Amino acid sequence: MSSLNASLATALSGLTADQDALAATSNNVANANTPGYSREVPVLVTGNPIIEDPLTFGSGVSVQSIESIRDPILESQIAQETQTQGQLNSLVSALSETQVNFTSSSGDIGTDITNFFSSVNQLSTNPSDLSLRQGVLTAADNLATAFNTTANNLTSQVTSLNQNVTQTVGQINQLTTQIAQLNGQIANLENVGESAGSFIDQRTQAIDQLSSLVDVSQIQSGNNELTLTTAAGTALVAGQQSFQLTTQPVASGAEDIFSQGTDITSTIASGQLGGILEARDQQIPAIQNQLDTLAAGLANSVNGVQTAGYDLNGNLGTDLFTPPPTSITGAAASLSVAITDPSLIAASSDGTVGSNGNADAMYALSSQNIVDGQTPNTYYSSIVFNVGNAVSNATASQTASGLVLQQLNDQNSAVSGVSLDEEAANMIQYQQAYAASAQVVTAINDMMYDVINMNTLTT
Amino acid sequence: MRINPDILPDLLAALNDNQQQINDDLEQISSGRSVNQPSDNPAAAAALVVNADQTSQANQFLSSISTVSGELQSADSTLNSVTTALQQAISLGVEGANGTLNASDQQALAVQVQGIQSQLVNLANLAYQGNYVFAGTATSTPPYVLDSTSSSGVTYQGNSGVNSITIGNQYTVQTNLPGSQLFSSSSNNVFQAIQDLITGLQSGNATAISTAVGELTNASNYIDQQRVFYGNTISQLNAQTTYLNSETTQLSQQQNTLGAANMPAVISNLESAQVSRQATLESMSNTLQNNLFNYLR
Repeated sequence: MSSLNASLATALSGLTADQDALAATSNNVANANTPGYSREVPVLVTGNPIIEDPLTFGSGVSVQSIESIRDPILESQIAQETQTQGQLNSLVSALSETQVNFTSSSGDIGTDITNFFSSVNQLSTNPSDLSLRQGVLTAADNLATAFNTTANNLTSQVTSLNQNVTQTVGQINQLTTQIAQLNGQIANLENVGESAGSFIDQRTQAIDQLSSLVDVSQIQSGNNELTLTTAAGTALVAGQQSFQLTTQPVASGAEDIFSQGTDITSTIASGQLGGILEARDQQIPAIQNQLDTLAAGLANSVNGVQTAGYDLNGNLGTDLFTPPPTSITGAAASLSVAITDPSLIAASSDGTVGSNGNADAMYALSSQNIVDGQTPNTYYSSIVFNVGNAVSNATASQTASGLVLQQLNDQNSAVSGVSLDEEAANMIQYQQAYAASAQVVTAINDMMYDVINMNTLTT
Repeated sequence: MRINPDILPDLLAALNDNQQQINDDLEQISSGRSVNQPSDNPAAAAALVVNADQTSQANQFLSSISTVSGELQSADSTLNSVTTALQQAISLGVEGANGTLNASDQQALAVQVQGIQSQLVNLANLAYQGNYVFAGTATSTPPYVLDSTSSSGVTYQGNSGVNSITIGNQYTVQTNLPGSQLFSSSSNNVFQAIQDLITGLQSGNATAISTAVGELTNASNYIDQQRVFYGNTISQLNAQTTYLNSETTQLSQQQNTLGAANMPAVISNLESAQVSRQATLESMSNTLQNNLFNYLR
């Protein structure tokens, strides 16, 4: 036979459990807009039964735990896709900046190549005319300036990407430190059997941020601690210890990334850092190399023709452009016009002032395959294509990855997001249950009163 | 199944895409071009570089043609004057060969022919924009000077150089004939013929005069033949001008096809983007405020 006191205890457990459940609801509502927050659900369990032969009575309810609802697989997919997104974001932003140099304008290299050859063609109509000769020198100057400007823009872009590398590494270090601390807090709570939900939320959020910066792979260890490495295996966080990355300029002038003395620059493939490195170490150097090839091919061919002809004074021509370095590296940045006296342009093929044979030969270069098997302008157009294509491909991937990420976030939010409708419904539910339990307490109270006053009633 | 309770990020992403579309459309409308940067269409951007180069080249060829055309016209009409002068000399020679003339009449004719000789030297020293047209490539010095010690009465100071200019893709034309070929070639020397006539008239030698008249007739025919070069070149230049003009038209059509914005399409895109933006905004403002809490009393 059950006692009234036992029933009172059961009703009390209902009141407590509903209060706790309402606390979870309240926390959910409060955090409805907190980034990274996973909704919490009270885990209600029924109390152990009390057996009084032949009957078995329930002993009420208790909140076993407040559980954060999350899908670790989805979360790691999000982290993964965030790396790709971070990489593409920084790549697109870097390449878009590069692309500005190759957008057609009055001062772009293509236009200036055309103008240079036009001025040479014009000179061939009147080879002794000093103003036409000056026109060739001016056009050559403009061409050299266009090469210099573009090359310098690319160099300063590389410099600012180096600064980005340093800043990003700083952010990575800050996040790994934070994650290591959170690992400690989570372990401490879990060791004493507490739920570390909100710390795990914070850590998940930090890992997402870290994933947007660098490629991260996660290894779950005991006590819900995480070990984080880069995809290539460089340790970032092991339990409660974080491993700081450092940057240091190397011989090429680039800021390389070191972990405990080892240069890991080439192993970083994704995240914002991966994108910056791809732009800095691959895409932009490839464009610089093409510019150098173009500048060197053009300058060498023009010089070759120029030194085979005769200037206005009947002397053998000298280089029009300062000879580019034999390695061609830096040819675009250093391209300059070697002569200032327009009479030194070797338009004549035989030393007479009226001969235009050499000017015509110089003009003919415009349609000869003098740059890597292509004409100067076709070669330039292929640079424009390459740059445009790189931006366009990266942008398309960025959009695709953005959609995937959005989809994953939607799925994750379906699992972990706070629904205010749901919380309102829960609130009503707990409120009503609380009221019912309170009614039970009142009823038991009345019954107790009856029992206590039983004697009084009979007398 | 639980559904995503927070649609705000998706809606914001949609609004973002929408705004991007509107920005792109506005850029195309304001610039009139669909390729505003290489990534808009890499292949078209590269083709536009080549197109711009070809257009500039075609315009340059037109400019070069117009420059040399002037010189060629001027040379051609000068050669016409040379023929006229030679015809005058021939009629003076024919007159001088007539046996009825006395020595002083012949002397007077000789003086007239000397006048024609200086006129021819002047014509052969034609300068166009400061350059001597018939001096070969030695264009800074007058090609012919009178020289009594020379058998032809003149000395040629030019050379036999010729110039060519490029007026099309792999298309070059020769733009001059040197005086050594036109006026003083070994077989048809205009100045030798004139000098022979002067000498014949001065000495009153009828045979010599007749021979000189024959030489002059040959020389005049020869000049006419050489003039064909100028006529041909001028008509080549004219034909090439016509071709280049139609090429620039084609290139500009190609440029439009490659890079011009399709205005009706862009404007209708813009309108639909605006409508969809409007609709998204309105539905956001209507639905986002609604949840069960609003209905609890």
